[in-house]
Amino acid sequence: MPLRYLELVLFSTYTELRAERERSYLGFVWWVLEPAMMMAVFYLVFAVVLKSSAPDYVPFLLVGLTSWQWFKSCVSHGGNAIWSNLGLIRQVKLPCLLFPSVQILADTVKFLFILALLMVILWASGYKPNITYVALLPVLLVELIFAAGATYLVAAVTPLLPDLRFVIEQFLQVVMFISGVVFALDSVPPSLRVWFALNPVVVLVDSARGILMHARWPDWWALAQVAGISLLMCALGIYLVARFTPRYVKLAI
Amino acid sequence: MASTQVHGAAGAPSEAGELIVSMRNVGVAFSAKRRLGESRFWALEDVSLELRRGERLGIIGRNGAGKSTLLRVIAGIVGPDRGSVQRAPISCQLLSLMVGFSPHLSGRDNAILSGMMLGMRHRDIKQRLVAIHEFSELGEFFEQPISSYSTGMLLRLGFSVAMQVDPDVLLIDEVLSVGDAEFQEKSGAALRERMRNGCTVVFVSHEDSQVRQLCDRALWVEHGKSVMQGPVEDVLAAYHAVLHVAPAVK
Repeated sequence: MPLRYLELVLFSTYTELRAERERSYLGFVWWVLEPAMMMAVFYLVFAVVLKSSAPDYVPFLLVGLTSWQWFKSCVSHGGNAIWSNLGLIRQVKLPCLLFPSVQILADTVKFLFILALLMVILWASGYKPNITYVALLPVLLVELIFAAGATYLVAAVTPLLPDLRFVIEQFLQVVMFISGVVFALDSVPPSLRVWFALNPVVVLVDSARGILMHARWPDWWALAQVAGISLLMCALGIYLVARFTPRYVKLAI
Repeated sequence: MASTQVHGAAGAPSEAGELIVSMRNVGVAFSAKRRLGESRFWALEDVSLELRRGERLGIIGRNGAGKSTLLRVIAGIVGPDRGSVQRAPISCQLLSLMVGFSPHLSGRDNAILSGMMLGMRHRDIKQRLVAIHEFSELGEFFEQPISSYSTGMLLRLGFSVAMQVDPDVLLIDEVLSVGDAEFQEKSGAALRERMRNGCTVVFVSHEDSQVRQLCDRALWVEHGKSVMQGPVEDVLAAYHAVLHVAPAVK
């Protein structure tokens, strides 16, 4: 039985990506072009218009946005996934966790394309591959678990509280700005820095930057803490989805 | 496995198999709308039924009586808010057309996706693609995105996929045949053959003739309550007596 669902998740991910490709003229070029355009906008605003004086600002921005965008698209796509499949859930008996999982996987595939492009850009601008690249795998794995945890939690609650969808986007925007994605947190007063350091996104983004830009090993202890929190979020999300599943089928659309 | 095992006399018109679904005083409530101070309405109030292996049960009743909800309870999609449902470890599948269809995918990919959602393994549905392609009469369109299909073509593909699923209990909500006259005949014949082949079936219908022709037993549901369960002719007779005497109850 579980094998059947694994197959379904994988095939659904394939169809999801494929359908997305078929929906536009440029197809999967958009997977890379869209984030590239967004990065260009941030670059224009912060590097050209506001003239950010920080050294290495462009790679700093690119790595931050690539890492953030992955997390963000998982939560905003996957968070809606159960809600938008309520019609299907009423017709066939399927585990609801399937729907956010498919979105997470699809967004991860797209992220890998962007990551590859990012690395090419970094190498071309002189940030050479180094031994700390080994740590990239655990860092990305922790980020995946963190994204899955956040996505499952949002996905579990959204069908019961669809109004949440309007809040989540804004909330993500705020998280992006307090996580040092587009500008460094150096200007944050020291008294507040302890609190900022509790933010898992800060740890994840900083680890990626350390590896890709400075050949610096991640802070393993901080990473382990984020992994722990992420696993707890996953467990709670999965529990809530299971707990609420009988209610989903009885909701008004 | 159900503990009760009752066998009918050999050669009896309906041989009673083991009890596979048993519902007692089941009620199901839905949220009426999304407002604070949630209001609920009871789609099912008090329904009891028994289903045995190999049996073909027809469910009759007026629109809004709760027949479709009842099928969803039997399928295990909707759980009861009161009463009890006991089900042997069996697969129940609602005959649903076009489950999970995505407009931008080809007929082939949609057939695989839909088949998997209906409970089939990837390799099983792939093996049946030839049969699906043939039965659906889609020809070259099978490789085209289904957004280019007509409604009839969609229904043909949906029906061809749904027919590949082979559950222990097949639940049918009205749809017996789809498409144009010719395909209706073909799809209806395929489904009736499936029903006659000893498959356990629960069949919701408005048409007496179909229930008479295809079912061994009938259940009459009225305002979310099971009124009568028994031989088809008896139940139909009682149902019509009430329909004609009191056309609109409350």
